[in-house]
Amino acid sequence: MSGDAGSATCSYTATPIFSGPRPATVVALIGNPNVGKSTLFNQMTGLGVVTAHYPGKTLEVNVGSTSLDGRSVSIVDLPGTYSLGSETEASWVTRRALLDVVPDCAIVVVDATNLARSLVIALQVMDMGVPTVVALNLTDESRRSGLLINADRLSGTLGVPVISTVATEGKGVAPALRTALMMCGTCGDVREDATHRYGVGFESLLEPLVAAATVSGIAPFGLPPRATALELIQSRSDVEEAVLESGGSVLHQRAGEVSRIMGAARGERVSTTVSRELHGAAGSIAESVSDSQPTDRTRRSLRSLATSPLTGIPVLFAVLASVFLFLFFVGDLLATAFSALWRAVASPVIVSAVHAVLGEGAWARTVLWGLDAGIEASLSIGLPYILTFYVLLSLLEDSGYLNAVAFLADRSMHHLGLHGRAVIPLVSGAGCSVPAVLATRVLATERERTIACTLIAMIPCSARTAVIMGAVGHYIGLLPALGVFIVSAVVTGIVGIVLDRMIPGSGAGMVMEMFPFRRPSLRVVWRKAWDQFREFLLIATPIVIVGSIVLGGLYESGWLWKLSAPLDPVVVGFLGLPSIAGLTLLFGLLRKEFALQLLVTLGIATMGEQANDLLTFMGPTDLFVYALVNTLAMPCVSTVAVLGRTLGWKRTSFVTAVTVGTALAMGGLFASVLPAIGWS
Amino acid sequence: MPTATLEEYLEAIYKLDEKGVVRPTMIAESMSVSGPTVTATLKRLAARSLITRSKSAVELTAEGRREALDIIRRHRLAERFLVDILGLGWDEAHEDACLLEHALSPRVQAALEQYLDNPSVCPHGHPIPSADGTIHAVVGDPLCDLDTASQGRIVQVAEDNDELLQYLASLGMFPGTDVTVCEIAPFNGPLLVEVNGSQYAIARDIASKILVTR
Repeated sequence: MSGDAGSATCSYTATPIFSGPRPATVVALIGNPNVGKSTLFNQMTGLGVVTAHYPGKTLEVNVGSTSLDGRSVSIVDLPGTYSLGSETEASWVTRRALLDVVPDCAIVVVDATNLARSLVIALQVMDMGVPTVVALNLTDESRRSGLLINADRLSGTLGVPVISTVATEGKGVAPALRTALMMCGTCGDVREDATHRYGVGFESLLEPLVAAATVSGIAPFGLPPRATALELIQSRSDVEEAVLESGGSVLHQRAGEVSRIMGAARGERVSTTVSRELHGAAGSIAESVSDSQPTDRTRRSLRSLATSPLTGIPVLFAVLASVFLFLFFVGDLLATAFSALWRAVASPVIVSAVHAVLGEGAWARTVLWGLDAGIEASLSIGLPYILTFYVLLSLLEDSGYLNAVAFLADRSMHHLGLHGRAVIPLVSGAGCSVPAVLATRVLATERERTIACTLIAMIPCSARTAVIMGAVGHYIGLLPALGVFIVSAVVTGIVGIVLDRMIPGSGAGMVMEMFPFRRPSLRVVWRKAWDQFREFLLIATPIVIVGSIVLGGLYESGWLWKLSAPLDPVVVGFLGLPSIAGLTLLFGLLRKEFALQLLVTLGIATMGEQANDLLTFMGPTDLFVYALVNTLAMPCVSTVAVLGRTLGWKRTSFVTAVTVGTALAMGGLFASVLPAIGWS
Repeated sequence: MPTATLEEYLEAIYKLDEKGVVRPTMIAESMSVSGPTVTATLKRLAARSLITRSKSAVELTAEGRREALDIIRRHRLAERFLVDILGLGWDEAHEDACLLEHALSPRVQAALEQYLDNPSVCPHGHPIPSADGTIHAVVGDPLCDLDTASQGRIVQVAEDNDELLQYLASLGMFPGTDVTVCEIAPFNGPLLVEVNGSQYAIARDIASKILVTR
């Protein structure tokens, strides 16, 4: 029985981590959040995975591969976590992956500036019998703050190799991987238990169970006896089940007794006792290998400047205002400049090329909608808004400022079921929805991302602001234009509150580590920005081109007018708008500011030159409703593309339905309310 | 008055009893002694009617319970003294308290209690039974009631929330841990606390479930 259990569970069973069979050599990367684990992963694999400053970000498991000294190896980047329990999603995923994948070696990334805390997970990984290499990262930072860690002594104490690394500069990356590869294959089917021990009292209580596990020969998930005993006293249900399935009911019962005895002796839950032992051991190891105490408190005092309400709130407003102004003005300026450049340089080339192939008829014009206007639309969002904004966002993230934002804004965001750090995406949304949606990846849960994305889709971006100002501000006045903004703000807030109630789960509750400020590595920042830009172009451009060609075909073929009939009941009947206005709202899908341009164009086409003044065929109420619906309804196709990428298409349809529904409801409401209060 | 050994047994039985049925094998393990020794000692305890034995289970009599609480009181007072006044670490304090507890007369206990400013819990956060043998519920203030720049020690984390308890423990926050409130976010926002040299933002609803003594 025992041998079977050992070999059967040690061999790989299907997991969601690998799509195919398990690669021959697997190295797992494990560590606390924000210790540079993902940076190390990127350095090792050369794949585009971003790093950040908050817990739970790399919740998806990243798998990459590389080859070193002619040997190919798969590297699994597990979510940043503080422990290997079931307390959080990240700790559950990490522990489960260790059990399922049975990596040949684990590289545990520890933070040299916070050794005591980050060693806890190293001890836990070693406790599971996984061959371990410790990557002592952020050694440059710890040295700068006057803290020296003796890597040799740490290695001696832990009984595993310790490699000093500076992940952001690539230092120590190859040695760490090489050491890990040397550890691979050192264990056969039978793993060995870690050599470190906890307090004498704890060990003496645990000892009988380790003995029982050894005698039973049961090795759930290939765990060695001590690891099995540690898992059992903490009542880890998956290991318990595996033990019972291997016929280990006696061992299981024994574990129950031992944990009761331990609970009685220590007067607390066994899980608490184990945590106490882990933290105690990690603390004393850290102390014994640290050669000096840090003296530099600058980074922390800078941070407290950002979190103290007195100074922090003005700083927060200044930062939010600059992000907004940057996207609104600098982004817009760059976009305009790019469009001018495109029209001067790229556009003529594309036009003549298409004309050369397809002639100058409707077909050519249709294709040009996609290849000329479509690519321009995608690039003029990508370059000025995404590339530049991402540099900004990554700086905020990597410096640790995002955490200060999260702390200060948490309470106000709670009303919307969001956490504090949602402020940045929401404010960015007033500039451009696309980077704002991409920025929601700083949010920890699917629920938060869905709420935030819905709200972003309804917040007027600079293009929609242009429509509001052009339609309402220009023809009716600034005050009514302000009215559109206020109505959309109120509606967005209400939708947030409703979604918070509606979507299952709770938004409350946060324990978040606050990191001292760090000097961001420009290389890492640039790489993140570039990755996002490239990804946006790859995802959005095809969708934008196809969407453009479809709309262009409708327009050029004249079928567009046929579309207006089915839309009329809603557009004319419910919203009270002219028939062509509905069509332009549809075109707003391409680029929100197109809606207004096209409204004027179509107006002139159907009603003659005097339609240049929108008031000739639309009253103030119409214009107000038009701008409001354009603002709240379904975002542009580029945003939809990134929504699909961020949330998946199911949730994207949800977001779209909510925004379209809200826009129509609000439009209909104001179409009937405004005339009643004296508007025409 | 029972001997030191009997007192140790009563203490162990009491603590095991809090967790469910007590069997002699469990006593043997929790005290690291052999089975026959336990059997012999249990006979002595039963002879003094401090315990009753039925089948394989052991139960404290009312008298045994009173004695057990008394020894627990002395142990926890001793721990408090060793940690607070002599500055010993908790782990050391536990073992030395085991030696010291047997030497504390009621007079010394009363004096110690006064000297220590009537502590309600031991350094690990467990309640100290009063002289008349009653245990009061752990007293403490919710962490969110602390002001900026004030310090407290965790005495209890809302026990009904297993996940939270484990999560906080995984961050090194368990009963007995010192917490400093560094900052409080505006509008009833989260608290910024420092624990073991790391800083954490803790939402108010979670902070209200962590009880601390100032």
